[in-house]
Amino acid sequence: MTFAEITQRIGAAFPDGVEVVEDTLLDPAVRVRADSAHAVCRFLRDDPDLYMDSLRVITAVDRPPDAIDVVWHLLSMRHRHTLVLKARVPRDAADIATVSDIWASANWFEREQYDLMGVNFTGHPNLRRLMMPVDWVGHPLRKDYERPASYHGIPTSRSDVTPVTHAEIPQHLPKAETTDGLMRLNMGPHHPATHGVLNFLLETDGEIVRHAEPDVGYLHRGIEKIAEMNTYAGTMPYTDRVDYLGGMFTNQGWAIACERLLGIEVPRRAEFCRIIACELNRIASHLVGTGSMAMDLGAYTPFIHWLRERESINDLMERICGARLTYTYMRIGGVARDIDAATLEQTLKWLDHFEPICAEFDRLITGNEIFVHRLANVAVLTKEDAMSFSIVGPNLRASGVKWDLRRDEPYSIYPELDFEVPVGLGWRGTVGDSYDRLIVRLFEIRECIKILRQAIAMIPDGEIRAKVPRILKPAANEAYGRVEAPRGEAGFYVTSDGTDKPWRVRIRTGCFTAMPVIEHLSPGLMIADIVALIGSLDVIAPEVDR
Amino acid sequence: MLRDVADWIERLFGLDPATFAYSWITNAVVIGIVALMAFVFIAIFAGPVTWWERRIAARMMSRIGPNRVGPQGVLQWLADGIKNFLKEDLVPAAADGPLFKFAPYLVFGGFMATFVVLPFGANLIAADLDVGLLYLLAITGLVVIGMLMAGWSSNNKWALFGGIRSAAQLVSYEIPSAFSLMAVVLAAGTMSMQGIIKAQGAWPWEWFLFRNPFLFVAFFTSLTSSIAEGNRTPFDLPEGESELVAGYHVEYSGMRFLWFMFAEWGNLWVLSSLATVCFLGGWQIPFVSPADIAASTGLAFWGWQALTFAVFATKASLLVAFVIQVRWTLPRLRVDQLMITCWKYLVPLALFCLSGVLVLLWAVEEKGALDWALRGVSMAAGLVLAVASFRKTRASYMADRDLYRRMEGKELWYPPFRLP
Repeated sequence: MTFAEITQRIGAAFPDGVEVVEDTLLDPAVRVRADSAHAVCRFLRDDPDLYMDSLRVITAVDRPPDAIDVVWHLLSMRHRHTLVLKARVPRDAADIATVSDIWASANWFEREQYDLMGVNFTGHPNLRRLMMPVDWVGHPLRKDYERPASYHGIPTSRSDVTPVTHAEIPQHLPKAETTDGLMRLNMGPHHPATHGVLNFLLETDGEIVRHAEPDVGYLHRGIEKIAEMNTYAGTMPYTDRVDYLGGMFTNQGWAIACERLLGIEVPRRAEFCRIIACELNRIASHLVGTGSMAMDLGAYTPFIHWLRERESINDLMERICGARLTYTYMRIGGVARDIDAATLEQTLKWLDHFEPICAEFDRLITGNEIFVHRLANVAVLTKEDAMSFSIVGPNLRASGVKWDLRRDEPYSIYPELDFEVPVGLGWRGTVGDSYDRLIVRLFEIRECIKILRQAIAMIPDGEIRAKVPRILKPAANEAYGRVEAPRGEAGFYVTSDGTDKPWRVRIRTGCFTAMPVIEHLSPGLMIADIVALIGSLDVIAPEVDR
Repeated sequence: MLRDVADWIERLFGLDPATFAYSWITNAVVIGIVALMAFVFIAIFAGPVTWWERRIAARMMSRIGPNRVGPQGVLQWLADGIKNFLKEDLVPAAADGPLFKFAPYLVFGGFMATFVVLPFGANLIAADLDVGLLYLLAITGLVVIGMLMAGWSSNNKWALFGGIRSAAQLVSYEIPSAFSLMAVVLAAGTMSMQGIIKAQGAWPWEWFLFRNPFLFVAFFTSLTSSIAEGNRTPFDLPEGESELVAGYHVEYSGMRFLWFMFAEWGNLWVLSSLATVCFLGGWQIPFVSPADIAASTGLAFWGWQALTFAVFATKASLLVAFVIQVRWTLPRLRVDQLMITCWKYLVPLALFCLSGVLVLLWAVEEKGALDWALRGVSMAAGLVLAVASFRKTRASYMADRDLYRRMEGKELWYPPFRLP
């Protein structure tokens, strides 16, 4: 359905609900009355013609002096249309009904917006701070927020750091006597299986986990806030740090969002450079994802073999952009530098070498009976749950949903390329189990090889960067740019206000929505299964916390 | 040699050999010397085998491994040991101090006590007890207590998990292990370690491994249970790094930590030499009967000891290499799968072997035609296994070589059996 049709339908169902239709925006939006937002959302989800089955992201945008906009990015995978829904709430009493009963993923989105922007989602089952410490004062993303000088005696700014002689260490609450016979266990933040600094509060009955609550925020660097203080081009290096295994994708997501705002056309060669770099990066990311999954299950050897291959990709990356991990390769309107013919040659040579290595990995671990038994039928994520939790990327496809942004909302040169979208078929167990999530990634690596070969064969000559003004000042507008990253959709929702700095940046990552699923799937799993589940979802801390 | 020591004590103290004090002092000194010898042996085994394991693992992972300390890194274990000696011995404030400090010694003690009955050569054994095998199975129970003690006293929930897992695992796997070894005891008619070896011969068809198909299977159940009791992958649940951080020894540092590691790597020798004794004919040399060795004197006697030790050590070391390769090949089982493996598969299988051996003892005349047929069947099975694994290894190596040749246009820079 087109935007006009959707608007008409909402208008028909809620005669006095729609306030304004903002169709001058790049992503046209419907603003509804705050008190009818919940009903509209339910209508959008349930109406068979609209069927907005997926909630992309919830954003709160500060509009001083007196309002906050709450923005829902909705997507219908069945009908392939999208909608931006908005509601305006007063700043001093920012109350709006929760939609977490409609989409499960709204739970964490709303907690984050409550934490950082102070929007009070009434009826939310668990409205607590997500990123900041529980005893933090204020909401950091509000425009009038002033950072406290210190937190428990620890200075918050680097400029006035003095040697801390006596820090007032926040004490844990006294341990409550448990009467249910369950053991409370902290899995993390320094646990080898949690891939960075994630923390899970486990309640276990012996080996069996009754409840696992993810506790995030240890790696919260406030990249959204940093972006507001930076120019559009100056934010690019920070986007690498959103996802350290897939820096190219967050680069590209940011570039696409900004290019849409500025109306820049990217030269064709630059698009090819981007795709070649991205797909190499996707292989590297999946190598770490699947390899560390095997390592988590006790098989070290395949992981080291994968890392050896990743070293070769890092070498290629170094030739392409000069960096091995945090690339900052993309520029708004193009890429930083051209990929020379020798590098392309080297890439092809490496692909020839790498293709048989995929089979070697299968020989090493994929078909191993112990490995299969550890993963098959473990932590089954059904299609319905995956949609409700807004799972994206390989995890969604493993649950049997054939949704890939490269194919279904194509961007860049992907429509010209021929590749398959692998989905979970219950290869050794049930559709959506941990083994499917592994297999989908392994198949995707092979698809990347296909894409790379085509892209290298097709790459045209030409410019690598569009003519872009030195100072970027997009007019006041909004745009949502997204790419298919290794861990799913990497989306950047950028609001500009006519100055050279973004007004509000919202980053949507695959891992953020994958985390609450762990809580959902954990009851009844064993501790070792939790490890397998975290590994199979391929969550990494910086993407969750940003 | 021990006689000389006794004489020397007699002269030193001027004691009459008939007195009570004389026998006590002699016993204490002799036991001390033997214990020291065993300790030194295990120290110079467990140390280098850590280097060996790391080099094998590195080779399997296509990296290089430790090669800095000494030629090819062989002295790496000394550097590690010295480092651990110099580390602070941390005891968590909330830990149960005495238990926490004592636990590593209990684990190490339980492991060292097995050396009382482990043979090294024809006459190289501390005490050839009549109940040697039973003693060995019983004394390793101390290790469980030590691990449980370490896990509990650390006051750390992960350590507790490790301790409890190790208790469950070791106690469970004692059963298939004991059943399969009892099959050997039935076949040998004795529990004495030297007696079991002497009941076999030097040639493979005289080994218990190939005596009959039941003992052939019992070898694998026994080896699997031994690996499980040694906490090695795929059964390393008590210390599974990615699950329990480090398991029962998560709070230990420095030398106390090293005692655990010492026992773990030393245990590689224990499990391989146990399998060698029970299934692989121990130290027997072809064409030389144990009676000849016992009858020899002087230099010849010591020569035979050295030779038998070399045979024994070679067999045990090959098994050690096999166990190391298994560790770096397989992923870890889950705890319920671990228990299922034990109780649903290994225990019935070991019981089956035990009763099979019983029936054969009753029904088959030794060295009769049927006995030789059974040996032939077992050897054929062994040959099939060996050929299959060799072919698979060769195919993998060839694939590796072709890949390398295609990629680099030159030959693989390591021959198949050389460390990089």
